[in-house]
Amino acid sequence: MATIAKPKRKIALICSHGGLDEAYPALILANAARQSGIDAFIFFTFWGLDVVTESKVDHLHVNLAGNPSSGMPTIVAGLPGMESLAARMMKKQMEELELPTVREMLQILEESGAELYACELAMNMFKRKKEDLLPQVKDVITAGDFYELSEGAQVIFT
Amino acid sequence: METTQTSAQKTEPRAPTNGSTLPNDAAALMAKRMEVMEEQLAYLVKRQRAQEELFADLTPIGKDLLNVVTERFSELEKEGAISFAQELLAVTRKVVQHYGPEDVRQFGNAVVTILDTVRALTQPEVLAIAGQASTVLQNADQAEPIGIMGMVRASRNEDVQKGMAVMMELLKHVGHAAKAMAEQRREPTGADKRKADLAKRLGPKKKKVLGVERPQVIEDARQEARDLGPPVLCADPAVKEEPEAAATMLDGVGFTADGHLANPKAWTRDLALNIAHAQGVELDDARWKVVEFARADFEEHGVSPNVRRLTLGTGLATRDLYTMFPKAPARTIAKIAGIPKPAGCI
Repeated sequence: MATIAKPKRKIALICSHGGLDEAYPALILANAARQSGIDAFIFFTFWGLDVVTESKVDHLHVNLAGNPSSGMPTIVAGLPGMESLAARMMKKQMEELELPTVREMLQILEESGAELYACELAMNMFKRKKEDLLPQVKDVITAGDFYELSEGAQVIFT
Repeated sequence: METTQTSAQKTEPRAPTNGSTLPNDAAALMAKRMEVMEEQLAYLVKRQRAQEELFADLTPIGKDLLNVVTERFSELEKEGAISFAQELLAVTRKVVQHYGPEDVRQFGNAVVTILDTVRALTQPEVLAIAGQASTVLQNADQAEPIGIMGMVRASRNEDVQKGMAVMMELLKHVGHAAKAMAEQRREPTGADKRKADLAKRLGPKKKKVLGVERPQVIEDARQEARDLGPPVLCADPAVKEEPEAAATMLDGVGFTADGHLANPKAWTRDLALNIAHAQGVELDDARWKVVEFARADFEEHGVSPNVRRLTLGTGLATRDLYTMFPKAPARTIAKIAGIPKPAGCI
């Protein structure tokens, strides 16, 4: 039981896409980090802002076009309604696996001590205010602040 | 008068049978009563006669009245009032047939909403818009058919733009109401039912539980977690039948390379206290309950519970678990409970 003292690990995740399939990896990685006793924080920027925006979080879609793993020709995947269809199918599958929804995941993350930040520049670009974001978002910060926060952390871009 | 006399005669022979005492007194009493009755009868006869006279006088008048009433009815009949009333009755009957008392009660509840809607619709401004729209509809035959290009051209008109905005807003509200209705009528899914069931058993989830006794709740939750069946995880957990080979031995107890007890059956409460101490956690009642749940859940399913399963099973919030076991809660709990490392990602 003699444990060797390791330096405290820290993970900084950058979530820059707003797709359902693109949001989960960041959230699950951060959660897994917290469960392993690793400090975690996520920086939501550009389309990733949708993941923490109150009006968008429940309607994240899956982009099949240009995704060779979707198994669907791009010309079909680009048809209207395909994104929401794919999102619906994916959500159903996740429900069967008892995977929490994005909203629940964010809540679990906040409760487990992960810190969530939104990008100030992206906020200005998309004309969003702090009130438009979910209450789990700790603060709106700049890229410079992000570097300060992520000092000594492993950075993962998703 | 004669009948009363006969009854009086009948009673007289009965007097002696009552006994020989005072038969004359009884006869006197009877005579007095008869006098009173005679007076009353005379009064009744007088009234009867008066009524007959009145009736005789009234009969011709009554006949006239009947004639007038009949005439009026036939007039009404000609005007169609009677058939109208009959139709009205038929309508009422139909309404009664098609709507039960429950419908009427619902209507009663909705009366205020209906009145509000009618009032809003009859505002002068609303009526003005409706009037404008109706004049356009009246001249609908003169409208020129347009295609997509025509639509694009028309959309440059500011009035059309305004109208489109109004229509969009209208659509938004209709959609919102429809969504609310769908939500109301939605059949609960299996997951909803499970969640509601758990919530019912566990009470408010955010309740502060540190150090608070909740034995029954925990017991119920444990049963519930068993009823939920084996946990579904994003990775297939490999159920280990055989205890892992011990990598290190400490005080005669084997531990795996990742610091978990090699054989869960070798677990004792004293050992748990020691492991907890080494992990920097002091076990109080609330923490013991979590550890016990983890052990019971492992025995049930052969898989160590992850954080999500621990929160669902014990009724604790994620935040509480991280407060009680600050560093890697699920792993720390598994170590203390003497069970393998939890599998899965959530």
